[in-house]
Amino acid sequence: MQEGYEGVYVVGVGQTAYEKRTTKTLHRILWEALAEAVHSARLSWQQIDGLGVTSFALPPDNVTTLAEHFGIEARWLFQGLYGGASGIINMLHGARAIQAGDAKVVACLTADVFDVASHNEMLDRFNGPLRDYLSPYAFGGANGVFALHTRLYMEEHGATREDFGRLAVAQRKNAQHNPNALFRGKTLSMEEYLNARQIADPLRLFDCVHPCAGGDCIILAHESIARDLGVPLVKILGGGEMHNYPANDVYSLRGGWEAFRDRMYGQAKCGPQDLHFAQLYDDYPVMEFIQLEGMGICERGKVAEFLRETDVTVHGGFPINTGGGQLSAGQAGASGGMIGVVEGVLQLRGEAAERQVACERGVVAGYGLVAYGRGLSSSAAILAKA
Amino acid sequence: MEKPLPRITGVDRPFWEAADSGRLMVQRCQSSECGRHILYPRVCCPYCGGGDLSWEEASGRGHIRSYTFVHRPQHESFYDEAPLCFVAVALEEGPLLYGEVRPRPAEAEQLLDRRVKVVFLEHAAGRKLPYFELEPIS
Repeated sequence: MQEGYEGVYVVGVGQTAYEKRTTKTLHRILWEALAEAVHSARLSWQQIDGLGVTSFALPPDNVTTLAEHFGIEARWLFQGLYGGASGIINMLHGARAIQAGDAKVVACLTADVFDVASHNEMLDRFNGPLRDYLSPYAFGGANGVFALHTRLYMEEHGATREDFGRLAVAQRKNAQHNPNALFRGKTLSMEEYLNARQIADPLRLFDCVHPCAGGDCIILAHESIARDLGVPLVKILGGGEMHNYPANDVYSLRGGWEAFRDRMYGQAKCGPQDLHFAQLYDDYPVMEFIQLEGMGICERGKVAEFLRETDVTVHGGFPINTGGGQLSAGQAGASGGMIGVVEGVLQLRGEAAERQVACERGVVAGYGLVAYGRGLSSSAAILAKA
Repeated sequence: MEKPLPRITGVDRPFWEAADSGRLMVQRCQSSECGRHILYPRVCCPYCGGGDLSWEEASGRGHIRSYTFVHRPQHESFYDEAPLCFVAVALEEGPLLYGEVRPRPAEAEQLLDRRVKVVFLEHAAGRKLPYFELEPIS
């Protein structure tokens, strides 16, 4: 087997509008994202022989019952158990399955239907350690968990609220060009960011994602099928995942990306200086800082300085979260782990319309599964025009 | 509205039963090469993988690793008391334990690295949980 992901292409991409309230069911949203992706790939429904799904709200159904619901005869199934790291892991495992001949066409699908109350309810019973040792207190949900990391990051690296705000404000500008974004039409100034209402200090309202409903999908195909579709093709140059890293160290302000980045860049035969965009997992700005460090895009502790010098909007020198990210498009539960992949694929297909950036390759990253004080799973991939 | 409660299992029953009687029990790995203290309670040591763990009473003293004043609690039962001071505490023995600081300090107070000691307060009828109180600055 090849070291990288040769012989596999991303051939399709789909996303529903992100909505605060919806009358649609979860299964309908999953179907809409999948159907749009199948259509964009010029594939037929019957050609799908592999399916992966990540959706917190899916139980008691699962990927197998979903395949039945959709009428898909599948040779390969995947269900993401890594929270917001799952979307990319689904893509990487799906590509390996295609390389190994276990499937030819794999749909990687995410969707959720959440609001603030149902999101908190889900998190309260997310896993044993969280439920039994944090939830009995007023820990604030994910906001409280990442307030602890944000405070330490500010203390250790001298970052300020304004430094985090630069990402939130730039992403909100990007979202103004994304018709699917929840906060299209609502601008955000630095003053509004800094003076927003307190959530869990030092986090205020615009450091936090808005739970919503939405779905995302990409489709992978073996080169023997991909080449004849007549659609723009995207390659996976490299990728990786890491879990529980570093072990037993909750407040190191690091994550798994540094553990696999050398292999990822080795597969891709490029380095962080060769990337044209980054689609980061932005549950909170501090995690974007940690991803920029972990993937070697910035030196440790230098992200604040980088953001003071770099325009990260779609008009700038290094665009980040070109569709607005979760902070400005919304967090549709587990789709938060796929929104960046979908955005990266749209950019590389040249289909990002008014938010299109000039790009040949870029990085997408995922992060998730908050347990005893931190997220346990990290993932990333480098995507490129074929 | 009732506050959320831990679901007590065979693994962590000694922790919660001790909390009810006002004592902080932590696990300790019995391997002679390891000997680490462990929280949250588990079936094996996450440092060496060994399965021989004992329960020991901890000092209940430690320092605040990080903290936040939670203005928007995740559960309605806390709304009336917000903002509440939620902390991660590094115990003297090593492991991390979460809780709230009672009485609540002023929001302007710098709490990183502040010394605290554990106190056991009634959380719901018949159930005590560990909380923390600030030690005087020496």
